[in-house]
Amino acid sequence: MLVLEKLTKTFPVGGGTLKVAVNRVDLRIEKGQFVTVIGSNGAGKSTLLNLIAGRLLPDRGRISLDGVDITRWSEHRRAQHIGRVFQDPLQGTAASMTIEENLSMAELRGRRRTLARGVTRGGRDRYRELLAPLGLGLETRLQSEVGLLSGGQRQSLSLVMATMTHPALLLLDEHTAALDPKTAKQVLDLTTRIVGEYGLTTLMVTHNLEHALRIGDRTIMMHEGSIVLDLSGPERARMTVQDLLAEFTRARGTDLVDDRLLLA
Amino acid sequence: MSWYALSGSIEQGLAYGVLALGVYITFRVLHFADLTVDGTFPLGAAVAATLIVAGASPIVAVVVAFLAGMAAGALTGFMHTKMRIAGLLASILTMTALYSVNLRIMGRPNVPLLRQPTLFTHLSEWGFDHPLQALVVFGLLAVAVKLGIDWFLSTEIGLAVRATGDTPAMIRSLGVDTDAMIVLGLAFSNGLVALAGAMMAQYQGYADVGMGLGTIITGLASVILGQALIRPSTVFRATLGAVVGAVLYRLAIYFALGAGFAPTDLRIVTAVIVVLALAGPAIKERFAARKPPTDAELDALAQASRATGDGQPVAVQAGKEGM
Repeated sequence: MLVLEKLTKTFPVGGGTLKVAVNRVDLRIEKGQFVTVIGSNGAGKSTLLNLIAGRLLPDRGRISLDGVDITRWSEHRRAQHIGRVFQDPLQGTAASMTIEENLSMAELRGRRRTLARGVTRGGRDRYRELLAPLGLGLETRLQSEVGLLSGGQRQSLSLVMATMTHPALLLLDEHTAALDPKTAKQVLDLTTRIVGEYGLTTLMVTHNLEHALRIGDRTIMMHEGSIVLDLSGPERARMTVQDLLAEFTRARGTDLVDDRLLLA
Repeated sequence: MSWYALSGSIEQGLAYGVLALGVYITFRVLHFADLTVDGTFPLGAAVAATLIVAGASPIVAVVVAFLAGMAAGALTGFMHTKMRIAGLLASILTMTALYSVNLRIMGRPNVPLLRQPTLFTHLSEWGFDHPLQALVVFGLLAVAVKLGIDWFLSTEIGLAVRATGDTPAMIRSLGVDTDAMIVLGLAFSNGLVALAGAMMAQYQGYADVGMGLGTIITGLASVILGQALIRPSTVFRATLGAVVGAVLYRLAIYFALGAGFAPTDLRIVTAVIVVLALAGPAIKERFAARKPPTDAELDALAQASRATGDGQPVAVQAGKEGM
Protein backbone atom coordinates (compact mmCIF):
# COMPACT_ATOMS: atom_id res chain seq x y z
CA MET A 1 0.00 0.00 0.00
CA LEU A 2 1.32 3.40 -1.05
CA VAL A 3 0.28 6.53 0.82
CA LEU A 4 1.20 10.05 -0.26
CA GLU A 5 0.39 12.90 2.14
CA LYS A 6 0.52 16.52 1.00
CA LEU A 7 3.40 15.63 -1.29
CA THR A 8 4.90 18.79 -2.79
CA LYS A 9 7.75 19.57 -5.15
CA THR A 10 8.75 22.95 -6.54
CA PHE A 11 11.49 23.89 -8.98
CA PRO A 12 13.18 27.27 -9.21
CA VAL A 13 12.52 28.80 -12.62
CA GLY A 14 14.79 31.81 -12.34
CA GLY A 15 14.05 35.34 -11.22
CA GLY A 16 13.51 33.98 -7.72
CA THR A 17 10.18 32.40 -8.61
CA LEU A 18 9.14 28.77 -8.20
CA LYS A 19 7.17 26.42 -10.39
CA VAL A 20 4.97 24.03 -8.44
CA ALA A 21 5.39 20.68 -10.16
CA VAL A 22 3.50 18.64 -7.58
CA ASN A 23 1.14 20.49 -5.28
CA ARG A 24 0.13 18.90 -1.94
CA VAL A 25 -0.93 15.63 -3.48
CA ASP A 26 -2.80 13.17 -1.26
CA LEU A 27 -3.09 9.68 -2.67
CA ARG A 28 -3.72 6.26 -1.21
CA ILE A 29 -3.22 3.17 -3.33
CA GLU A 30 -4.33 -0.10 -1.84
CA LYS A 31 -2.26 -3.22 -2.11
CA GLY A 32 -2.72 -4.88 -5.48
CA GLN A 33 -4.39 -1.86 -7.04
CA PHE A 34 -3.40 -0.96 -10.63
CA VAL A 35 -3.62 2.81 -11.12
CA THR A 36 -3.19 4.59 -14.45
CA VAL A 37 -2.07 8.23 -14.43
CA ILE A 38 -2.91 10.68 -17.18
CA GLY A 39 -2.44 14.40 -17.69
CA SER A 40 -1.01 16.79 -20.23
CA ASN A 41 2.68 17.59 -20.50
CA GLY A 42 3.88 19.43 -17.42
CA ALA A 43 0.98 18.23 -15.27
CA GLY A 44 3.41 16.68 -12.78
CA LYS A 45 3.07 12.98 -13.63
CA SER A 46 6.75 12.32 -14.12
CA THR A 47 7.72 14.44 -11.13
CA LEU A 48 5.27 12.45 -9.03
CA LEU A 49 6.81 9.18 -10.17
CA ASN A 50 10.33 10.50 -9.57
CA LEU A 51 9.33 11.59 -6.06
CA ILE A 52 7.98 8.13 -5.29
CA ALA A 53 11.07 6.45 -6.78
CA GLY A 54 13.36 8.75 -4.84
CA ARG A 55 15.12 10.33 -7.78
CA LEU A 56 13.75 13.62 -6.43
CA LEU A 57 13.18 14.53 -2.79
CA PRO A 58 9.97 16.39 -1.90
CA ASP A 59 9.89 19.91 -0.42
CA ARG A 60 7.01 18.90 1.84
CA GLY A 61 4.85 15.92 2.58
CA ARG A 62 5.29 12.22 3.30
CA ILE A 63 5.54 9.00 1.34
CA SER A 64 4.95 5.67 2.99
CA LEU A 65 5.07 2.22 1.48
CA ASP A 66 3.46 -0.68 3.30
CA GLY A 67 3.35 1.43 6.46
CA VAL A 68 7.03 2.45 6.37
CA ASP A 69 7.93 6.11 5.98
CA ILE A 70 10.32 6.25 3.02
CA THR A 71 10.19 10.03 2.44
CA ARG A 72 13.90 10.52 3.05
CA TRP A 73 15.21 7.21 1.71
CA SER A 74 17.75 7.32 -1.09
CA GLU A 75 16.72 6.14 -4.54
CA HIS A 76 18.70 2.90 -4.39
CA ARG A 77 17.37 2.05 -0.93
CA ARG A 78 13.77 2.45 -2.07
CA ALA A 79 14.56 0.40 -5.13
CA GLN A 80 14.83 -2.60 -2.83
CA HIS A 81 11.02 -2.47 -2.75
CA ILE A 82 10.10 -0.54 -5.89
CA GLY A 83 10.41 -1.87 -9.43
CA ARG A 84 10.57 0.60 -12.27
CA VAL A 85 10.38 0.57 -16.06
CA PHE A 86 11.55 3.69 -17.87
CA GLN A 87 10.18 5.18 -21.07
CA ASP A 88 13.51 4.72 -22.83
CA PRO A 89 14.19 1.01 -23.50
CA LEU A 90 17.91 1.79 -23.36
CA GLN A 91 17.68 2.91 -19.74
CA GLY A 92 16.19 -0.22 -18.25
CA THR A 93 18.82 -2.73 -19.31
CA ALA A 94 22.61 -2.77 -19.54
CA ALA A 95 23.43 -3.03 -23.25
CA SER A 96 26.99 -4.33 -22.94
CA MET A 97 25.95 -7.17 -20.63
CA THR A 98 24.20 -10.42 -21.43
CA ILE A 99 20.54 -11.24 -20.86
CA GLU A 100 21.43 -13.59 -18.01
CA GLU A 101 23.71 -11.03 -16.38
CA ASN A 102 20.94 -8.44 -16.52
CA LEU A 103 18.45 -10.88 -15.00
CA SER A 104 20.88 -11.92 -12.30
CA MET A 105 21.32 -8.28 -11.26
CA ALA A 106 17.55 -7.84 -11.15
CA GLU A 107 17.07 -11.03 -9.14
CA LEU A 108 19.27 -9.56 -6.40
CA ARG A 109 16.98 -6.61 -5.81
CA GLY A 110 16.51 -6.23 -2.08
CA ARG A 111 19.33 -8.59 -1.25
CA ARG A 112 22.90 -7.94 -0.22
CA ARG A 113 25.28 -8.35 -3.15
CA THR A 114 28.29 -10.50 -2.36
CA LEU A 115 31.35 -11.91 -4.09
CA ALA A 116 29.38 -15.00 -5.03
CA ARG A 117 29.14 -15.80 -8.73
CA GLY A 118 26.53 -13.59 -10.38
CA VAL A 119 25.09 -16.00 -12.94
CA THR A 120 24.61 -19.51 -11.60
CA ARG A 121 23.31 -22.66 -13.23
CA GLY A 122 20.21 -22.57 -11.03
CA GLY A 123 19.71 -18.95 -12.03
CA ARG A 124 19.83 -19.85 -15.72
CA ASP A 125 17.06 -22.41 -15.23
CA ARG A 126 14.92 -19.83 -13.45
CA TYR A 127 15.54 -17.22 -16.17
CA ARG A 128 14.55 -19.68 -18.91
CA GLU A 129 11.29 -20.44 -17.11
CA LEU A 130 10.64 -16.74 -16.66
CA LEU A 131 11.37 -15.80 -20.27
CA ALA A 132 9.75 -18.70 -22.11
CA PRO A 133 6.14 -17.48 -21.62
CA LEU A 134 7.02 -14.15 -23.29
CA GLY A 135 7.22 -15.95 -26.62
CA LEU A 136 10.16 -13.81 -27.73
CA GLY A 137 12.70 -16.62 -27.81
CA LEU A 138 14.89 -14.83 -25.30
CA GLU A 139 15.18 -18.00 -23.22
CA THR A 140 17.41 -19.49 -25.91
CA ARG A 141 19.66 -16.43 -26.05
CA LEU A 142 20.65 -16.00 -22.41
CA GLN A 143 24.25 -15.31 -23.34
CA SER A 144 23.45 -12.68 -25.98
CA GLU A 145 24.30 -9.10 -25.26
CA VAL A 146 21.20 -7.04 -24.54
CA GLY A 147 22.43 -4.39 -26.97
CA LEU A 148 21.60 -6.82 -29.79
CA LEU A 149 17.89 -6.92 -28.89
CA SER A 150 15.16 -4.78 -30.43
CA GLY A 151 13.48 -2.01 -28.45
CA GLY A 152 10.44 -4.15 -27.77
CA GLN A 153 12.52 -7.09 -26.61
CA ARG A 154 14.54 -4.83 -24.34
CA GLN A 155 11.42 -3.27 -22.86
CA SER A 156 9.90 -6.72 -22.24
CA LEU A 157 13.12 -7.74 -20.52
CA SER A 158 13.05 -4.52 -18.46
CA LEU A 159 9.53 -5.40 -17.37
CA VAL A 160 10.57 -8.90 -16.33
CA MET A 161 13.54 -7.44 -14.45
CA ALA A 162 11.39 -4.85 -12.69
CA THR A 163 8.87 -7.43 -11.53
CA MET A 164 10.74 -10.71 -10.97
CA THR A 165 11.21 -10.13 -7.24
CA HIS A 166 7.53 -9.15 -6.81
CA PRO A 167 8.31 -5.64 -5.48
CA ALA A 168 5.88 -3.84 -3.17
CA LEU A 169 5.32 -1.22 -5.87
CA LEU A 170 5.74 -1.11 -9.64
CA LEU A 171 6.25 2.23 -11.40
CA LEU A 172 5.74 2.39 -15.17
CA ASP A 173 6.67 5.71 -16.75
CA GLU A 174 5.13 5.73 -20.25
CA HIS A 175 6.99 2.50 -20.77
CA THR A 176 5.41 1.80 -24.16
CA ALA A 177 5.62 5.34 -25.56
CA ALA A 178 8.90 4.77 -27.41
CA LEU A 179 7.67 1.61 -29.16
CA ASP A 180 5.80 1.15 -32.42
CA PRO A 181 2.05 0.48 -31.90
CA LYS A 182 2.24 -3.27 -32.40
CA THR A 183 5.19 -3.75 -30.07
CA ALA A 184 3.62 -1.36 -27.60
CA LYS A 185 0.53 -3.57 -27.50
CA GLN A 186 2.61 -6.69 -26.89
CA VAL A 187 4.48 -5.03 -24.02
CA LEU A 188 1.22 -3.72 -22.59
CA ASP A 189 -0.39 -7.16 -22.73
CA LEU A 190 2.64 -8.56 -20.97
CA THR A 191 2.34 -5.82 -18.36
CA THR A 192 -1.28 -6.64 -17.49
CA ARG A 193 -0.44 -10.35 -17.42
CA ILE A 194 2.52 -9.98 -15.05
CA VAL A 195 0.81 -7.42 -12.80
CA GLY A 196 -2.27 -9.63 -12.58
CA GLU A 197 -0.33 -12.82 -11.96
CA TYR A 198 1.82 -11.32 -9.17
CA GLY A 199 -0.89 -9.00 -7.82
CA LEU A 200 1.48 -6.03 -7.92
CA THR A 201 0.55 -2.58 -6.68
CA THR A 202 1.14 -0.53 -9.81
CA LEU A 203 1.28 3.08 -10.94
CA MET A 204 1.37 3.50 -14.72
CA VAL A 205 1.79 6.86 -16.44
CA THR A 206 0.41 6.89 -19.97
CA HIS A 207 -0.54 9.35 -22.66
CA ASN A 208 -2.96 6.91 -24.21
CA LEU A 209 -6.44 7.60 -22.83
CA GLU A 210 -7.78 4.34 -24.23
CA HIS A 211 -5.14 2.38 -22.29
CA ALA A 212 -5.69 4.54 -19.23
CA LEU A 213 -9.35 3.54 -19.04
CA ARG A 214 -9.13 -0.03 -20.22
CA ILE A 215 -6.12 -1.17 -18.17
CA GLY A 216 -5.99 -1.42 -14.41
CA ASP A 217 -8.75 -0.60 -11.96
CA ARG A 218 -8.35 3.09 -11.23
CA THR A 219 -7.46 6.19 -13.24
CA ILE A 220 -6.25 9.51 -11.91
CA MET A 221 -5.84 12.68 -13.92
CA MET A 222 -3.28 15.28 -12.97
CA HIS A 223 -3.32 18.94 -13.85
CA GLU A 224 -0.89 21.63 -12.73
CA GLY A 225 0.53 19.45 -10.00
CA SER A 226 -2.77 18.31 -8.51
CA ILE A 227 -5.03 15.30 -8.93
CA VAL A 228 -8.16 16.69 -10.58
CA LEU A 229 -9.97 13.44 -11.30
CA ASP A 230 -9.95 10.08 -9.56
CA LEU A 231 -12.00 7.38 -11.22
CA SER A 232 -12.71 3.83 -10.17
CA GLY A 233 -15.50 1.29 -10.07
CA PRO A 234 -18.67 1.74 -12.16
CA GLU A 235 -17.98 5.45 -12.71
CA ARG A 236 -14.73 4.52 -14.44
CA ALA A 237 -16.36 1.67 -16.34
CA ARG A 238 -18.89 4.08 -17.86
CA MET A 239 -16.19 6.56 -18.85
CA THR A 240 -15.30 6.89 -22.52
CA VAL A 241 -12.28 8.52 -24.09
CA GLN A 242 -14.60 11.34 -25.22
CA ASP A 243 -15.76 11.91 -21.62
CA LEU A 244 -12.16 11.94 -20.50
CA LEU A 245 -11.25 14.53 -23.12
CA ALA A 246 -14.12 16.66 -21.89
CA GLU A 247 -12.75 16.37 -18.36
CA PHE A 248 -9.37 17.47 -19.64
CA THR A 249 -10.87 20.53 -21.23
CA ARG A 250 -12.73 21.35 -18.04
CA ALA A 251 -9.57 20.99 -15.98
CA ARG A 252 -7.72 23.35 -18.23
CA GLY A 253 -10.59 25.79 -18.29
CA THR A 254 -10.22 26.16 -22.01
CA ASP A 255 -11.08 24.13 -25.07
CA LEU A 256 -7.48 23.89 -26.13
CA VAL A 257 -6.54 20.26 -25.74
CA ASP A 258 -2.95 19.15 -25.85
CA ASP A 259 -1.97 17.79 -29.26
CA ARG A 260 -0.53 14.61 -27.84
CA LEU A 261 -3.81 13.82 -26.13
CA LEU A 262 -5.89 14.30 -29.24
CA LEU A 263 -3.65 11.97 -31.13
CA ALA A 264 -3.70 9.38 -28.37
CA MET B 1 69.43 -3.73 -29.54
CA SER B 2 69.89 -7.11 -28.01
CA TRP B 3 68.00 -10.04 -26.57
CA TYR B 4 68.64 -8.46 -23.21
CA ALA B 5 66.92 -5.21 -24.22
CA LEU B 6 64.09 -7.11 -25.92
CA SER B 7 63.36 -9.32 -22.92
CA GLY B 8 63.56 -6.18 -20.78
CA SER B 9 60.85 -4.62 -22.93
CA ILE B 10 58.64 -7.68 -22.51
CA GLU B 11 59.21 -7.69 -18.74
CA GLN B 12 58.26 -4.03 -18.55
CA GLY B 13 55.32 -4.67 -20.83
CA LEU B 14 53.99 -7.34 -18.47
CA ALA B 15 54.52 -5.04 -15.47
CA TYR B 16 52.66 -2.31 -17.31
CA GLY B 17 50.04 -4.95 -18.09
CA VAL B 18 48.97 -4.76 -14.43
CA LEU B 19 48.74 -1.00 -14.83
CA ALA B 20 46.75 -1.42 -18.04
CA LEU B 21 44.33 -3.75 -16.24
CA GLY B 22 43.80 -1.04 -13.65
CA VAL B 23 43.13 1.52 -16.36
CA TYR B 24 40.77 -0.96 -18.08
CA ILE B 25 38.54 -0.96 -14.97
CA THR B 26 38.09 2.82 -14.94
CA PHE B 27 38.28 3.62 -18.63
CA ARG B 28 36.36 0.68 -20.09
CA VAL B 29 34.21 -0.66 -17.27
CA LEU B 30 33.26 2.55 -15.46
CA HIS B 31 33.71 4.90 -18.44
CA PHE B 32 35.64 7.20 -16.16
CA ALA B 33 38.75 8.99 -17.46
CA ASP B 34 40.89 8.65 -14.35
CA LEU B 35 44.14 10.63 -14.28
CA THR B 36 44.71 9.69 -10.63
CA VAL B 37 46.95 6.91 -11.93
CA ASP B 38 49.68 9.41 -12.83
CA GLY B 39 49.94 9.94 -9.08
CA THR B 40 49.24 6.42 -7.85
CA PHE B 41 51.92 4.71 -9.96
CA PRO B 42 54.74 6.69 -8.26
CA LEU B 43 52.78 6.48 -4.98
CA GLY B 44 53.06 2.71 -5.09
CA ALA B 45 56.76 3.00 -5.93
CA ALA B 46 57.37 5.57 -3.18
CA VAL B 47 55.55 3.58 -0.52
CA ALA B 48 57.25 0.32 -1.43
CA ALA B 49 60.75 1.82 -1.74
CA THR B 50 60.47 3.77 1.50
CA LEU B 51 59.20 0.72 3.39
CA ILE B 52 61.93 -1.51 1.96
CA VAL B 53 64.64 1.00 2.89
CA ALA B 54 63.11 1.17 6.38
CA GLY B 55 63.54 -2.59 6.63
CA ALA B 56 60.07 -3.90 5.82
CA SER B 57 59.63 -7.12 3.87
CA PRO B 58 59.19 -6.51 0.12
CA ILE B 59 55.91 -8.42 0.24
CA VAL B 60 54.55 -6.20 3.00
CA ALA B 61 55.78 -3.20 1.01
CA VAL B 62 53.80 -4.30 -2.06
CA VAL B 63 50.65 -4.93 -0.04
CA VAL B 64 50.85 -1.53 1.68
CA ALA B 65 51.48 0.12 -1.71
CA PHE B 66 48.32 -1.56 -3.04
CA LEU B 67 46.31 -0.24 -0.08
CA ALA B 68 47.74 3.26 -0.50
CA GLY B 69 46.72 3.22 -4.15
CA MET B 70 43.21 2.12 -3.16
CA ALA B 71 42.95 5.04 -0.75
CA ALA B 72 43.99 7.49 -3.48
CA GLY B 73 41.43 6.04 -5.90
CA ALA B 74 38.73 6.15 -3.24
CA LEU B 75 39.54 9.84 -2.66
CA THR B 76 38.96 10.63 -6.34
CA GLY B 77 35.72 8.64 -6.15
CA PHE B 78 34.61 10.50 -3.05
CA MET B 79 35.27 13.89 -4.64
CA HIS B 80 33.36 12.85 -7.74
CA THR B 81 30.33 11.20 -6.14
CA LYS B 82 29.85 13.12 -2.90
CA MET B 83 31.33 16.53 -3.74
CA ARG B 84 29.99 16.38 -7.31
CA ILE B 85 33.29 17.37 -8.93
CA ALA B 86 33.57 16.26 -12.56
CA GLY B 87 35.41 12.93 -12.76
CA LEU B 88 38.33 14.11 -14.84
CA LEU B 89 38.87 17.17 -12.65
CA ALA B 90 38.58 15.18 -9.41
CA SER B 91 41.24 12.80 -10.65
CA ILE B 92 43.55 15.65 -11.70
CA LEU B 93 43.18 17.14 -8.22
CA THR B 94 44.15 13.87 -6.53
CA MET B 95 47.02 13.42 -8.96
CA THR B 96 48.32 16.92 -8.22
CA ALA B 97 48.08 16.40 -4.47
CA LEU B 98 49.83 13.03 -4.73
CA TYR B 99 52.93 14.69 -6.16
CA SER B 100 53.45 16.42 -2.82
CA VAL B 101 52.42 13.33 -0.90
CA ASN B 102 54.95 11.20 -2.78
CA LEU B 103 57.74 13.67 -2.03
CA ARG B 104 56.72 13.64 1.64
CA ILE B 105 56.75 9.85 1.73
CA MET B 106 60.19 9.58 0.16
CA GLY B 107 61.63 12.71 1.77
CA ARG B 108 63.48 13.41 -1.47
CA PRO B 109 62.76 13.06 -5.19
CA ASN B 110 64.48 9.68 -5.61
CA VAL B 111 64.93 6.63 -3.39
CA PRO B 112 67.47 4.10 -4.70
CA LEU B 113 67.00 0.42 -3.84
CA LEU B 114 70.54 -0.68 -4.64
CA ARG B 115 71.72 -3.39 -2.29
CA GLN B 116 68.28 -3.50 -0.68
CA PRO B 117 66.37 -6.75 -0.44
CA THR B 118 63.58 -6.80 -3.06
CA LEU B 119 61.17 -9.46 -4.27
CA PHE B 120 63.73 -10.28 -6.95
CA THR B 121 66.73 -10.67 -4.60
CA HIS B 122 64.52 -12.77 -2.30
CA LEU B 123 63.61 -15.07 -5.16
CA SER B 124 67.29 -15.39 -6.05
CA GLU B 125 68.10 -16.31 -2.47
CA TRP B 126 65.31 -18.88 -2.46
CA GLY B 127 66.97 -20.55 -5.42
CA PHE B 128 65.04 -19.04 -8.30
CA ASP B 129 67.92 -17.21 -9.91
CA HIS B 130 67.56 -17.24 -13.65
CA PRO B 131 67.82 -14.72 -16.50
CA LEU B 132 64.09 -15.18 -17.04
CA GLN B 133 63.28 -14.49 -13.38
CA ALA B 134 61.70 -11.06 -13.92
CA LEU B 135 59.84 -12.28 -16.99
CA VAL B 136 58.30 -15.15 -15.02
CA VAL B 137 57.44 -12.95 -12.03
CA PHE B 138 55.76 -10.25 -14.10
CA GLY B 139 54.10 -12.81 -16.36
CA LEU B 140 52.58 -14.69 -13.43
CA LEU B 141 51.53 -11.45 -11.77
CA ALA B 142 49.84 -10.13 -14.92
CA VAL B 143 48.00 -13.41 -15.47
CA ALA B 144 46.94 -13.62 -11.81
CA VAL B 145 45.62 -10.05 -11.83
CA LYS B 146 43.88 -10.62 -15.16
CA LEU B 147 42.12 -13.75 -13.87
CA GLY B 148 41.33 -11.97 -10.61
CA ILE B 149 39.57 -9.18 -12.49
CA ASP B 150 37.71 -11.69 -14.68
CA TRP B 151 36.47 -13.38 -11.55
CA PHE B 152 35.58 -10.15 -9.73
CA LEU B 153 33.61 -8.76 -12.67
CA SER B 154 31.51 -11.94 -12.76
CA THR B 155 30.50 -11.75 -9.10
CA GLU B 156 27.28 -10.16 -7.87
CA ILE B 157 29.19 -7.01 -6.86
CA GLY B 158 31.28 -7.06 -10.04
CA LEU B 159 28.17 -7.17 -12.23
CA ALA B 160 26.84 -4.14 -10.34
CA VAL B 161 30.12 -2.30 -11.01
CA ARG B 162 29.86 -3.08 -14.72
CA ALA B 163 26.23 -1.99 -14.86
CA THR B 164 27.18 1.26 -13.10
CA GLY B 165 29.47 2.05 -16.01
CA ASP B 166 26.92 0.91 -18.57
CA THR B 167 23.52 2.19 -17.40
CA PRO B 168 23.62 3.82 -13.95
CA ALA B 169 19.87 4.62 -13.86
CA MET B 170 19.04 0.97 -14.41
CA ILE B 171 21.26 -0.52 -11.73
CA ARG B 172 20.17 2.17 -9.25
CA SER B 173 16.57 1.16 -9.96
CA LEU B 174 17.61 -2.36 -8.94
CA GLY B 175 18.75 -1.17 -5.52
CA VAL B 176 22.47 -0.60 -6.05
CA ASP B 177 24.28 2.43 -4.64
CA THR B 178 26.11 3.53 -7.80
CA ASP B 179 28.25 6.02 -5.84
CA ALA B 180 29.65 3.14 -3.81
CA MET B 181 30.34 1.14 -6.98
CA ILE B 182 32.25 4.07 -8.55
CA VAL B 183 34.36 4.47 -5.39
CA LEU B 184 34.98 0.73 -5.28
CA GLY B 185 36.00 0.56 -8.94
CA LEU B 186 38.34 3.54 -8.65
CA ALA B 187 39.90 2.16 -5.48
CA PHE B 188 40.47 -1.28 -7.02
CA SER B 189 41.90 0.24 -10.20
CA ASN B 190 44.30 2.55 -8.41
CA GLY B 191 45.34 -0.22 -6.04
CA LEU B 192 46.46 -2.22 -9.07
CA VAL B 193 48.29 0.77 -10.56
CA ALA B 194 50.13 1.35 -7.26
CA LEU B 195 50.95 -2.37 -7.19
CA ALA B 196 52.49 -2.02 -10.65
CA GLY B 197 54.46 1.00 -9.39
CA ALA B 198 55.72 -0.94 -6.38
CA MET B 199 56.87 -3.79 -8.62
CA MET B 200 58.47 -1.42 -11.10
CA ALA B 201 60.46 0.32 -8.35
CA GLN B 202 61.93 -3.01 -7.24
CA TYR B 203 62.59 -4.05 -10.82
CA GLN B 204 64.40 -0.89 -11.88
CA GLY B 205 66.03 -0.38 -8.48
CA TYR B 206 64.62 3.00 -7.50
CA ALA B 207 61.51 5.04 -6.95
CA ASP B 208 61.35 8.45 -8.54
CA VAL B 209 58.78 11.18 -8.05
CA GLY B 210 58.69 11.80 -11.80
CA MET B 211 58.06 8.20 -12.84
CA GLY B 212 54.28 8.66 -12.97
CA LEU B 213 54.26 11.18 -15.77
CA GLY B 214 52.26 9.72 -18.66
CA THR B 215 51.03 6.65 -16.74
CA ILE B 216 47.48 7.22 -17.96
CA ILE B 217 48.66 7.45 -21.56
CA THR B 218 50.62 4.21 -21.20
CA GLY B 219 47.54 2.56 -19.77
CA LEU B 220 45.21 3.93 -22.40
CA ALA B 221 47.61 3.07 -25.22
CA SER B 222 47.76 -0.51 -23.93
CA VAL B 223 43.99 -0.90 -23.52
CA ILE B 224 43.24 0.65 -26.90
CA LEU B 225 45.97 -1.26 -28.70
CA GLY B 226 44.74 -4.46 -27.08
CA GLN B 227 41.13 -4.00 -28.07
CA ALA B 228 42.15 -3.18 -31.62
CA LEU B 229 43.75 -6.62 -31.80
CA ILE B 230 41.43 -8.67 -29.61
CA ARG B 231 37.77 -7.70 -29.97
CA PRO B 232 36.64 -7.13 -26.37
CA SER B 233 33.37 -9.05 -26.68
CA THR B 234 33.78 -10.56 -23.21
CA VAL B 235 35.54 -9.47 -20.04
CA PHE B 236 37.98 -12.36 -20.51
CA ARG B 237 39.00 -11.08 -23.94
CA ALA B 238 39.09 -7.44 -22.87
CA THR B 239 41.49 -8.08 -19.97
CA LEU B 240 43.60 -10.33 -22.17
CA GLY B 241 43.72 -7.47 -24.67
CA ALA B 242 44.90 -5.04 -21.99
CA VAL B 243 47.88 -7.24 -21.08
CA VAL B 244 48.76 -8.06 -24.69
CA GLY B 245 48.38 -4.38 -25.57
CA ALA B 246 50.77 -3.36 -22.79
CA VAL B 247 53.45 -5.75 -24.03
CA LEU B 248 52.98 -4.66 -27.64
CA TYR B 249 53.13 -1.04 -26.59
CA ARG B 250 56.49 -1.63 -24.90
CA LEU B 251 57.73 -3.47 -27.96
CA ALA B 252 56.61 -0.58 -30.16
CA ILE B 253 58.70 1.73 -27.97
CA TYR B 254 61.61 -0.69 -28.21
CA PHE B 255 61.47 -0.64 -31.98
CA ALA B 256 60.97 3.12 -32.05
CA LEU B 257 64.21 3.48 -30.09
CA GLY B 258 65.86 1.04 -32.46
CA ALA B 259 64.66 3.11 -35.39
CA GLY B 260 66.64 6.03 -34.08
CA PHE B 261 64.17 7.96 -31.93
CA ALA B 262 65.76 9.50 -28.86
CA PRO B 263 64.30 8.49 -25.48
CA THR B 264 63.08 12.08 -25.17
CA ASP B 265 60.96 11.55 -28.30
CA LEU B 266 59.04 8.68 -26.72
CA ARG B 267 56.15 10.80 -25.53
CA ILE B 268 55.29 12.05 -28.97
CA VAL B 269 55.64 8.50 -30.30
CA THR B 270 53.19 7.35 -27.63
CA ALA B 271 50.79 10.17 -28.36
CA VAL B 272 50.84 9.29 -32.05
CA ILE B 273 50.21 5.60 -31.29
CA VAL B 274 47.21 6.48 -29.10
CA VAL B 275 45.82 8.96 -31.62
CA LEU B 276 46.11 6.42 -34.42
CA ALA B 277 44.47 3.68 -32.36
CA LEU B 278 41.63 5.98 -31.25
CA ALA B 279 41.15 7.38 -34.74
CA GLY B 280 41.20 3.88 -36.24
CA PRO B 281 37.43 3.52 -36.68
CA ALA B 282 37.09 7.01 -38.17
CA ILE B 283 39.97 6.43 -40.54
CA LYS B 284 38.60 3.06 -41.60
CA GLU B 285 35.19 4.57 -42.28
CA ARG B 286 36.71 7.31 -44.39
CA PHE B 287 38.76 5.04 -46.59
CA ALA B 288 36.65 1.92 -46.79
CA ALA B 289 33.60 3.67 -48.25
CA ARG B 290 30.67 1.27 -48.00
CA LYS B 291 29.42 0.14 -51.38
CA PRO B 292 25.71 0.71 -51.89
CA PRO B 293 23.47 -2.36 -51.39
CA THR B 294 22.42 -4.16 -54.58
CA ASP B 295 18.80 -4.80 -55.58
CA ALA B 296 19.16 -8.46 -54.66
CA GLU B 297 20.39 -7.56 -51.18
CA LEU B 298 17.56 -5.09 -50.65
CA ASP B 299 14.98 -7.70 -51.74
CA ALA B 300 16.46 -10.25 -49.37
CA LEU B 301 16.32 -7.74 -46.53
CA ALA B 302 12.69 -6.91 -47.22
CA GLN B 303 11.82 -10.59 -47.26
CA ALA B 304 13.61 -11.25 -44.01
CA SER B 305 11.79 -8.33 -42.43
CA ARG B 306 8.42 -9.72 -43.58
CA ALA B 307 9.35 -13.14 -42.26
CA THR B 308 9.87 -11.90 -38.72
CA GLY B 309 6.52 -10.18 -39.12
CA ASP B 310 6.96 -7.55 -36.45
CA GLY B 311 7.72 -4.78 -38.89
CA GLN B 312 11.09 -4.21 -37.32
CA PRO B 313 14.29 -3.90 -39.23
CA VAL B 314 16.39 -7.04 -39.06
CA ALA B 315 20.10 -7.40 -38.77
CA VAL B 316 22.15 -8.71 -41.62
CA GLN B 317 25.54 -10.07 -40.68
CA ALA B 318 27.02 -8.35 -37.65
CA GLY B 319 24.86 -5.46 -36.63
CA LYS B 320 22.18 -4.47 -34.28
CA GLU B 321 18.76 -5.94 -34.68
CA GLY B 322 15.82 -3.67 -34.74
CA MET B 323 15.84 -0.36 -33.01
